[in-house]
Amino acid sequence: MSERSYSSDEDMALVRLAQQGDMQAFEELVARYRDKIYARAFSMMRSEEDAIDLSQEAWIKAWQRLKQFQGESSFGTWMTRVVINLCLDQLRKQKRHRVESLEAMDEESGGVERQMPVVTVNPTEGLERQELRVRIDKALGQLSQEHRTVLVLHEFEEMEYKEIARVMECSIGTVMSRLFYARRRLAALLVNINKEGVR
Amino acid sequence: MLILWLLVIGFVSGLHTESAAAEAELKVEAQLVWGTNAKQSPDPKHKPVSEEVRKKLLELPLKWTNYFEVNRKLLSIPAASQKKEALSEKCAVEVKYLGKSKVEVRLFGKGEQVEKRTQDLPKGETLVLAGKAPGETTWLVVLKRLE
Amino acid sequence: MNEKEIKLQAYLDKELAADERQQVESALLQDPEANALLAELRMIRGVLAGYQDQTKLPESREFYWSKVERGLRAAERAELSGSRDTAVRTWWRKWLVPAGAFAALALAGWLAGTQTGFFGSTAPQGESSLDDTGAFTYRDFSTGTTLVWLSYPAEN
Repeated sequence: MSERSYSSDEDMALVRLAQQGDMQAFEELVARYRDKIYARAFSMMRSEEDAIDLSQEAWIKAWQRLKQFQGESSFGTWMTRVVINLCLDQLRKQKRHRVESLEAMDEESGGVERQMPVVTVNPTEGLERQELRVRIDKALGQLSQEHRTVLVLHEFEEMEYKEIARVMECSIGTVMSRLFYARRRLAALLVNINKEGVR
Repeated sequence: MLILWLLVIGFVSGLHTESAAAEAELKVEAQLVWGTNAKQSPDPKHKPVSEEVRKKLLELPLKWTNYFEVNRKLLSIPAASQKKEALSEKCAVEVKYLGKSKVEVRLFGKGEQVEKRTQDLPKGETLVLAGKAPGETTWLVVLKRLE
Repeated sequence: MNEKEIKLQAYLDKELAADERQQVESALLQDPEANALLAELRMIRGVLAGYQDQTKLPESREFYWSKVERGLRAAERAELSGSRDTAVRTWWRKWLVPAGAFAALALAGWLAGTQTGFFGSTAPQGESSLDDTGAFTYRDFSTGTTLVWLSYPAEN
């Protein structure tokens, strides 16, 4: 018996089939979005193992809640939110056991970013796309979890301050100060990376 | 580990110093809710539950996506006493305040007790008792501690 | 960061009300430092806008799906059977340490006054004490919600 091919179906058609229990249709959705969902998890967790585990968990959760998705956003956006929430839960659990470094506490209390000179020249200008990606990735990896998270949610997920505050369970003021620090720190890091050169 | 135990003992001791005013009365909101995948309830009197309740129910491993409020009652229960409220002709709930955020909840269906549960219910906490209803739907009794 | 810097960032992110936007714009006309800072923030926004995350999942399609599928089937089985054991294990693990202190004190009084409960020991969170209710308990810690699913049927 030949299997039906889902590769030419639109996302919503696959969602409707999956909502009726068609696991093969769901598998096609997984195949389409697995990189994106994994990438988002990795950008927040910075651990391949955690990102794989959480992305898998996100797919399982999505299957269980698929009937709640009615197309109010794209499937990719909805799915990204699922994995973001799982990552945030995991980060909260990890934070309970994490020993805060003095530097991290200093960052949180604010004022450190004032020591950074304003970056006036774009340190990434003229770089090839691939090189740019590598440098930004390296710089993001050097931010603390909280600062990276707020940057990811604001710059890549285009969430407003209010929504970020809600999902991160902090005040809007904290979101703003973390975002400000993250941006300034990123600028400084990119300048440093530019000077060192990236291997 | 010893520090953890000391902290736990300290926490337990701290509970005993809760103010008398905080223990005087318990306020619980009880809602009878109908869960379905249909977009509307056949009864026009049923309104969709509040967004807050809806979000909590959607986080649970239930397959229903739409929830409608059938009835809602506010129970004010002094310490060491209980209150019983009918949520429908066939459903009633009794909440007994045992003190220190502990409650004993009894659910009645057609006059018979169907569940008795002792539960910690601090402020903001929600207890949902639920079961199958005809036509692949669900009934839920949502108890939320207000004060 | 001071209030001026907060407002500058919020201005860039379009999070200010119209009158506040005007105030910032007026201030920018006379403040070169603020302009320089705004330029930096704008530059970083632009850099990140050009960032295309090309991270790939380091597992083949088939292998990854086999793990996801296993998880889906396990979740479906758990939902169908009303997996009490999973809920109890998760709940128990969560409360074991802080409940330890309570358990010793509560157990003495509980054994004196009550019969053995559904889960076989005292627990601060909750317990169903009717025999054989067939209840399944699930706890969502993120929303502070406990679900008790009963086998009680309802009729029209």
